[in-house]
Amino acid sequence: MAARHKRKNQQSKAHREFISESEETLEGMRGGLADLMDQRVDPARDGEIDPDLINTIFRAAHSLKGLAGMFGLDSLGRLAHHLEDVLDGLRLGRNSPNSPAIDLLDEAVRLFASLLPQVGSDDFEENSVSPVDDLIARIEVALEDAVNVPDELAGLDLDPSLLRALTEYEEHRLRENLRRGRHLSLVDTTFEILSFEEGLAEISAAIKEVGEVVSTLPSPGEVPESQIRFSLLAATKISAEELAARLEFSHTSVRSISAPAAVEEAHPSEPDSASSRASEPPEAGLQAGSEPPEAGAASEMDSLRSISATVRVDIKKLDDLMNMVGELSIQRASILDIVQRLSREPSTARIGGELGRVHKLLDRKLNELQSGVLEVRMVPLRQVFEKLSRVVRRLQRDLGKDVAIDFSGSDTELDKLIVEQLVDPLMHVVRNAFDHAIETAEERRNVGKPERGEIFITASQRGNHVVIEVRDDGRGIDFDLVRRVAAERGLVPADAQMTEKETLDLLFEPGFSTRGSISSTSGRGVGMDVVRTNLVAMGGMVEISTTAGLGSCVTLTLPITLAIIQALIVGVENQRFAIPLNSVLETLSVDPGSIQTSEGRELLNLRGEALPLRRLSDEFRLTDTGAARDRQFVVVLGLGDRRTGLLVDTLEGQKDTVIKAIQGPIEQVRGIAGATEDGENGAILVIDVASILDDAARRRDAA
Amino acid sequence: MSGSESQERKQAEAGADWESLAHSAAHAKLGGADESEMLRELLVFLLNGTRYAISVDRVREIVRLRAITPMPHVPEEILGVIPLRGAVVQVVDLRLRLELESTAATRRTRIIILHGDDGRITGILVDAVQEVVRVPEDEIRPAAAGDGEAVAEIFLRGEDFVSILDLDRVMEFHVVQ
Repeated sequence: MAARHKRKNQQSKAHREFISESEETLEGMRGGLADLMDQRVDPARDGEIDPDLINTIFRAAHSLKGLAGMFGLDSLGRLAHHLEDVLDGLRLGRNSPNSPAIDLLDEAVRLFASLLPQVGSDDFEENSVSPVDDLIARIEVALEDAVNVPDELAGLDLDPSLLRALTEYEEHRLRENLRRGRHLSLVDTTFEILSFEEGLAEISAAIKEVGEVVSTLPSPGEVPESQIRFSLLAATKISAEELAARLEFSHTSVRSISAPAAVEEAHPSEPDSASSRASEPPEAGLQAGSEPPEAGAASEMDSLRSISATVRVDIKKLDDLMNMVGELSIQRASILDIVQRLSREPSTARIGGELGRVHKLLDRKLNELQSGVLEVRMVPLRQVFEKLSRVVRRLQRDLGKDVAIDFSGSDTELDKLIVEQLVDPLMHVVRNAFDHAIETAEERRNVGKPERGEIFITASQRGNHVVIEVRDDGRGIDFDLVRRVAAERGLVPADAQMTEKETLDLLFEPGFSTRGSISSTSGRGVGMDVVRTNLVAMGGMVEISTTAGLGSCVTLTLPITLAIIQALIVGVENQRFAIPLNSVLETLSVDPGSIQTSEGRELLNLRGEALPLRRLSDEFRLTDTGAARDRQFVVVLGLGDRRTGLLVDTLEGQKDTVIKAIQGPIEQVRGIAGATEDGENGAILVIDVASILDDAARRRDAA
Repeated sequence: MSGSESQERKQAEAGADWESLAHSAAHAKLGGADESEMLRELLVFLLNGTRYAISVDRVREIVRLRAITPMPHVPEEILGVIPLRGAVVQVVDLRLRLELESTAATRRTRIIILHGDDGRITGILVDAVQEVVRVPEDEIRPAAAGDGEAVAEIFLRGEDFVSILDLDRVMEFHVVQ
């Protein structure tokens, strides 16, 4: 009974996912098709469609097909497949842009969009089959008037090996450009291996200003070890000589291939490199290429070549890998234990030594493996930022406010798992800023602000943490309003005196919202408390700061990786706890006598500064075994610029741990971030440093 | 009947046989019971000498008692957590939860690992696990009012009544932070 219920839930969740991903893709397709229609009739273009545009639309159709396949939606998949066919025909010159098949593209997209909302309904397949089949039949008829393209690659001054390396698509582009009377040139250029991507991008952009880069191929030939050489096949309206003049890059030469011509040097920035280039022999294999390229020269139609060489990996697999590495680590520790025991006995000392050497190597390799797996999990924040851009664009449409969103630090990398969990909270913060913080155009005008609001999102890495700031230039947070609403909701007594920080903290209370009505974008009151809970669950924290009239800033602090982290194991009252090492600033051994008490709180004099102390046994209300200790330890915790010392009984060393979320009926336990396995001894609870620092700060402010 | 005709008939029969064989095999795999005769599969365990039962499809596995690490800030019915093949799971003391007297652990003490609809797992500590039974629906009665909120239904097994626990009720904890 329960199993069936679960399956049904999963079905509709899957369908919802499909609908949302498809919607986005369809939107992109619509925009692309609109552009295509424009280009079709643009006299300046002479019927030539931008190949990048066709590729983009093609990729969108391909995505749709893949999505439909993944979710088992047969008729939609077939429709997308035919879309692909039409676009492919267009790409390869088999269909002209004026073919009736292109007109049907728009209809197909509209049909797709109209069917989309019904996905997931019981008789979807039945209902969708006939409209889809009808359209497919019409598309097939339209596709039959394909155009056969004569071979024009004969007569090109191009090395046959280079021609063979071209894909069918690139060949088509070559022919197309030839037919339009463009100049074809081979641009030969050399870069340093460490920075070639930028150089390549620059030179491609320069060529694209006056034409098209048909293909970019790494080129064999003699180059120093630190460098790499490329050949770019360019089709331009200007001659090779003019192209050479435009390409002011060092180590670059341009050769015309549409007719045999002399080698032209580009104007390099350093004179000496020019002379060294001039003395090198011209491109190897210069022949009057009269033999036609081999039939089916290119490798099989690699239509997805523009997509980068990456592999999509299920996060669960990465998690499993991480777990395995963690478990290997535990075994390695056991081996070390055995090594130590063997080394102690004279009779086994030698074997112990041998095993010890093996262990050292194993340890090193394991660390490398761990780093490798961790790296695989790291993704740049760029993806999240792109999603946020889309969200803002949609919000602009829905709410009619003009707001610009700027990003910086999109290269900052975070564990994929964290990034996945970050998207929703970040989106909510951005929506809040958009909806609540930024005033309407009129209000802004009245206070002298530019009508267009701004939201800045910056990400930066600080040690073992990543800090993401969402800053807006809106109205700032009205402390009085917050206090009033909180009093109305009974969260605080009506006449409570609160500091600014305490007032801001109220925003994190569940059910808090200063909006009277619930707008469709936010104000449902499930806001900042969920953001905070999510952040804390990840071992991070969130803070708000604000200036009335000028704007607010929400700061999210996150650990870089949730995966294997180093933890300090401490003992308190016969129980062990783990503290993430990235939040530990230092550890000290203290004489109980050196602990001072001031206003009921304990402090330690740390190099002239008062460090507030907190006993772990108090924090967790552990039973005090009453054992007298003549020596205790203080673990100095730090996150951002907060500091607190945690008083513990013993320090038991460091351990590589994989923090697991604690499963069970109690969802969130204050002060505990998760737990880690301790071999046979059960589990060790991992302390949530942020909440301890939070509590300490709160107590301090309350004084 | 001619040779080829009898051949055909044999084949037709064989085909039919195959079909019915496939049907009954599938049916058997799905639990076999005819729709009209609904059976509920329940795991029966012992708690303080009394027999209780829970629906089998909520049971993920049963493990022996192991070191339970206590957790702070939780109700006392949550004994703590145990590691379980890569996960860390809270363990509920079912005796405390049902407000029964506590007894010492024995060799037969077990932790039943349950999973909820949302995929979350929890462990419950019981004195002993006894058996899995299939009880026809019509033998299951609603429990009397006095049996407490956690017991929704009961059935007769041999001479005793077995109380079927409403797991969602049992796992509902109201936590005051």
